[in-house]
Amino acid sequence: MSVSDETLMAYADGEVDEATRAIIEAAMRENPEVRRRIAEHRALREAMQGAFSAVLDEPVPQRLIHAARGQTAAPAGGHVVDLAGARRAAAGQLPGRRLRSWQPVAMAASVLMGVALGYVGWHSAKPLVTTGSSGELLAGAGLAEALSNQLSEERSPGLAAITGLSFRAKTGDYCRTFSLTGSHASSGLACHEGGGWTIKVLAQSLPAASNSSNFRPAASADPPAVRAAVEESIDGEPLDRAGEIAARQGNWSASSGR
Amino acid sequence: MSTNESTETIQEQIVALLPRLRRFARNLVRAPHDADDMVQIAVERALLRLDQWHSDARLDSWLFKILRNAWIDEVRSRARRAKLFMPEEAGEHVGEASMEREIDRLSVEAAMARLPQDQRLAVSLVLVEGLAYKDAADVLDVPIGTLTSRLARGREALAAMLRLPEGDFS
Repeated sequence: MSVSDETLMAYADGEVDEATRAIIEAAMRENPEVRRRIAEHRALREAMQGAFSAVLDEPVPQRLIHAARGQTAAPAGGHVVDLAGARRAAAGQLPGRRLRSWQPVAMAASVLMGVALGYVGWHSAKPLVTTGSSGELLAGAGLAEALSNQLSEERSPGLAAITGLSFRAKTGDYCRTFSLTGSHASSGLACHEGGGWTIKVLAQSLPAASNSSNFRPAASADPPAVRAAVEESIDGEPLDRAGEIAARQGNWSASSGR
Repeated sequence: MSTNESTETIQEQIVALLPRLRRFARNLVRAPHDADDMVQIAVERALLRLDQWHSDARLDSWLFKILRNAWIDEVRSRARRAKLFMPEEAGEHVGEASMEREIDRLSVEAAMARLPQDQRLAVSLVLVEGLAYKDAADVLDVPIGTLTSRLARGREALAAMLRLPEGDFS
């Protein structure tokens, strides 16, 4: 009798029922070819397990352990502070008040830079980051100027703020990712709300990936927190150039362009 | 998941699974640092969705599935970014790029990297992670028949590659 190779494979993996097992074991006794094929399946299984087991003995990076315990996540190379917490602390509020529609993002991203408020007011002539009346982080004049005017593909090197991806969020607001260069190199996500740009996520930029990587994030190396926030909040596809121009003409107002 | 205690218990179970999550991630993304980034994203997502996990389901399968979905999102958003603002990198490949690269020595890892993605994931979940066929099929969101046929083709290709004398590849 002949047994299909898929059945022999399932036998080697312990995935067949009793009846099939009996048939295969009878075939094994009679047919050396069946024995050889099963031995080959088992050897391959062992080889695969052996080849990839080294990673199990490596120490697990602390940032992953922290992430699994729900402790403030630390993307590689970045100190991290919870944005909502920083906002509350700045406003002297008790915990518990959160941005409604952004709650998942605030939690998922659970973001932030080394002492979030250390950024506030830095670059004082045209501050990049500032705080609003209730302690929320806002784009300062320097960053707002770039977010409002600069198209993603026209990165002008002179600006401290480099805009990245633009999209319409599920809330209807326009949002843009940005990178800040210089000694405080960081990336973030800002959304245009109530006439200004509110910063949803700000995280220290990742160091450039090693050149052995074939999975390097795009050159901006957005920290995972920023990427996760975009994935959580984006509605559809990012804006193309024409979409950005239209949004800019409408002053990035949620009611424009739709 | 109604009490903090049970959440903490699950968090510690996730901590215990981190080595396996890292191993699975490296079969999705070869660069270790990037693979760890995927694990971190997946774990953060899992904690947000703990209410979606049912304690009768296997925690490892559930996490593998979140990791695999996070990776798919990453590949998609990467493609978007490449299109939008990194045109010079648009030709860079993800994951399977290694298949076309020169391979010095046909190690098991190298052979694995040459497999098409669907087969590599099936092999990784069943042969490396030791999942049952039905659990692996669930992680990949495919019927069990699809899983077994990918697994069979992946195995066949691996066996053929590993049987070749090294000198035959140059």
